[in-house]
Amino acid sequence: MRNLDPQSLTQHVDRLYRAAWALCGSREDAEDLVQETFARVLSRPRVLSGDDELHYLMRALRNTFFTARRTAGRRPVTVATLEDVAAEDPRPMGRPERALEVQELYATIAELPEDFRLALVAVDVLGLSYREAAHALRVREATITTRLFRARKQLSARLAPEPPAPPASDGVQREGNSLRAVFSDGRER
Amino acid sequence: MSERRPQTESELVEHVRALEEPAPAALHARIDALVAEHAARPARPSLGARLRARPAALGAGVAALAALAAVLVLSVAGGGSSPALSWRTASALTLRGATSAAPAVGRDRAQLTAAVGGVAFPNWEPAFGWRTTGVRSDSVGGRQVTTVFYADGRGQRIGYAIAAGPAPGVSGGTIAWREGAPYRMLSAGAVQAVVWQRGGHMCVLAGRGVDGATLLRLASWSDDARAS
Repeated sequence: MRNLDPQSLTQHVDRLYRAAWALCGSREDAEDLVQETFARVLSRPRVLSGDDELHYLMRALRNTFFTARRTAGRRPVTVATLEDVAAEDPRPMGRPERALEVQELYATIAELPEDFRLALVAVDVLGLSYREAAHALRVREATITTRLFRARKQLSARLAPEPPAPPASDGVQREGNSLRAVFSDGRER
Repeated sequence: MSERRPQTESELVEHVRALEEPAPAALHARIDALVAEHAARPARPSLGARLRARPAALGAGVAALAALAAVLVLSVAGGGSSPALSWRTASALTLRGATSAAPAVGRDRAQLTAAVGGVAFPNWEPAFGWRTTGVRSDSVGGRQVTTVFYADGRGQRIGYAIAAGPAPGVSGGTIAWREGAPYRMLSAGAVQAVVWQRGGHMCVLAGRGVDGATLLRLASWSDDARAS
């Protein structure tokens, strides 16, 4: 048992941000969630049972995520008109290809069923061991193993490209299928 | 598209684990500010330590719980919700993240299209270089609070909140007068804030690490723009 050192928390911001992004599916919500999590953790002295604070932060992130979602469900929704909202910043990002890939991946993780998503975020995104993930999510280690297995299967299936359709009877491959083949293999056929 | 796109499940897992997407610098800055603010607070022992040190505190704790329960009962009976709207709760919103894209610039270029009760948010980019980055909307104590976020070229970030309905009373801090209007300069930890009224609505401009003079200049300019 030891007191949580607030200064040591800042080293986990990047990893926690990625975990939050995969939980929420959007960068903006992830920023909000991480800030809210740190504000909660720092609001009073905390005592850790283990050596590593990362699994403690994962549990705090999960609890804050659920609380925020419940609160959002009760909050009146403000509807902005098209006139009020501008398009996103049109300036190109440094590495648009990579940014698209990360966004696509985390958005797909965010669509997984909740239990599977949490297991995958804890182990694969945050980097916790199965034991730490079980501790953080308050489930048995065997449960983490099962959920992670299913989460990976589902994620893989959702991100897998559609199989190319058989060639048309006239022997000419249609343009859409051809693009899909290039996309999935990374080389032209 | 990308040759790095994983082809098998094991490659996909490796891909997820290898991602090193860093958190935005602004988020790091906000977390650093939270930790610094926490460090500046006087050390407070845990509840268990306090109870061990002073058994009498147990009685006080029970009394406090009873008082809290009474407040909750009164609150529920009155149909109210907490926390109540104040400059502190409004400025806390200015430190949070945007939930929607930046509002568009209005036709006169001095204001944005986002507004609360006919009071529009200012467009500071042409005059000061502070561009809008996003907006969020919250309900505090049953009142709608709209916050527009701005950032300058150095990465500093501020939030401008306008609360719908009559402005609540504000005390403390110091008052600066600009064009006959009072602007109250306040601070809470590392957060500087300027509180004033426009059209009877409470406006709060706040940020971490941004000096009060800058906030005052921006706040009073917005009033000029509105009057013109």
